Amino acid sequence: MTRFHTIAPVTAAIALIISISSCSVQPCYEDTDPLMITEMLVSGTGETAKADSLRVYTYRTTDTLKFVSQKGVSRFSVPLDPGSDESLFLITLNGVTDTAIIRYERHPHLVSPECGYTLISEITGLYTTHNIIDTLIIENPSVDLDGQKNLHLFY
Amino acid sequence: MARRTCIFFISLLLLGGNAALAQDTVTFPLHIRAGFDVSGPVMKLIDKDLISYGVNGSADINSSVALTAGFRYSSFNSSEVIYDFTSSGLSITAGADYNFIKANVSQGKYSAGIGLRYGLSFYREEASMIRYTNEWGAGEAAVPPGRHTGHYLEITPGVRTEIFPGVTIGWNLYMRLLISAGAGKDLKPVWMPGYGAGTSGMRTGAEYYVSLSIPYRKIKVYIKPKIQESDEDEDEEGGQPAGTGSSSGTTGFPSRL
Repeated sequence: MTRFHTIAPVTAAIALIISISSCSVQPCYEDTDPLMITEMLVSGTGETAKADSLRVYTYRTTDTLKFVSQKGVSRFSVPLDPGSDESLFLITLNGVTDTAIIRYERHPHLVSPECGYTLISEITGLYTTHNIIDTLIIENPSVDLDGQKNLHLFY
Repeated sequence: MARRTCIFFISLLLLGGNAALAQDTVTFPLHIRAGFDVSGPVMKLIDKDLISYGVNGSADINSSVALTAGFRYSSFNSSEVIYDFTSSGLSITAGADYNFIKANVSQGKYSAGIGLRYGLSFYREEASMIRYTNEWGAGEAAVPPGRHTGHYLEITPGVRTEIFPGVTIGWNLYMRLLISAGAGKDLKPVWMPGYGAGTSGMRTGAEYYVSLSIPYRKIKVYIKPKIQESDEDEDEEGGQPAGTGSSSGTTGFPSRL
């Protein structure tokens, strides 16, 4: 019985430490910004295409948002507007500009108690002009935190 | 008196040539227990966002195994910079506890063992405000109220002792394994009542129960006495014959073995 009375306080101390540690506040280390990933392909062959220059941006009433400005890239990623059910992008590819409109449904997603919620999207449709873009197709409609390709852009 | 009678009866059997079946017996009181978790109100002093009140009942079915069931009401409120979240609900656990202490030592008063329980959580969750920021700017959204049912397993090593006749206290550590939060992959609860953070597959913690204990039946438990191999062993144990528990008052029948 003496042994039992020794075990009890030790167990109690361990229990208290575990209880307190399990409710300590942790910082957020996770990615919370879902990005729509687009891969560029050569129209006709379907091979990966590397653009000489690429700019992706949008006009708003007060300013211009620049998302991408790169050279020699074959894929790009942009965030969708979490405050709206559609986003308009101007895509300037090798100096020629097209407009793409992406429509989607938004859903809240809990990243973690520390990082809070983000809004993930399900692409429902898209529209594009065809100055340089041949086709823009939906490969995977879920724009979430998994990092999967969403669109194929043929030009 | 009954114990002595029993021992005497076994001695008669042994004298009849059944030495290989040498056994001892103790009378073991089976209990029904009902208690409440003191750690819930105490933890509220540390974590003001959480209210958690738990009650637990158990019934011995033999000297080692007890059936157990528990009810817990939990309410969680978190008002962070990035979200406001509330959840509340009732969780139910049911399972069994196994006591590693032998019947002649525990006497129905002491327990050191492990329990396995299945838990169900019936809860409601809501995030009345979600704040997000990305390159498009900042904004707010909300998760509307929803009712869900979560499932989990609970492994609970712990100890329990009787401090007064009819009153026991005990610590449980717990390890909870989430089976399903029941709210889909996107809306796992920040806090699932009875379990903890719904984004975590495993939760650990502790509970501290004060229980009332009522004996409802007595059973005879057979204890196989230890076999004494030599006199040296006897000396190491302070000269007391093996199998002689302080409570049982039994004998190891060294001359027969």
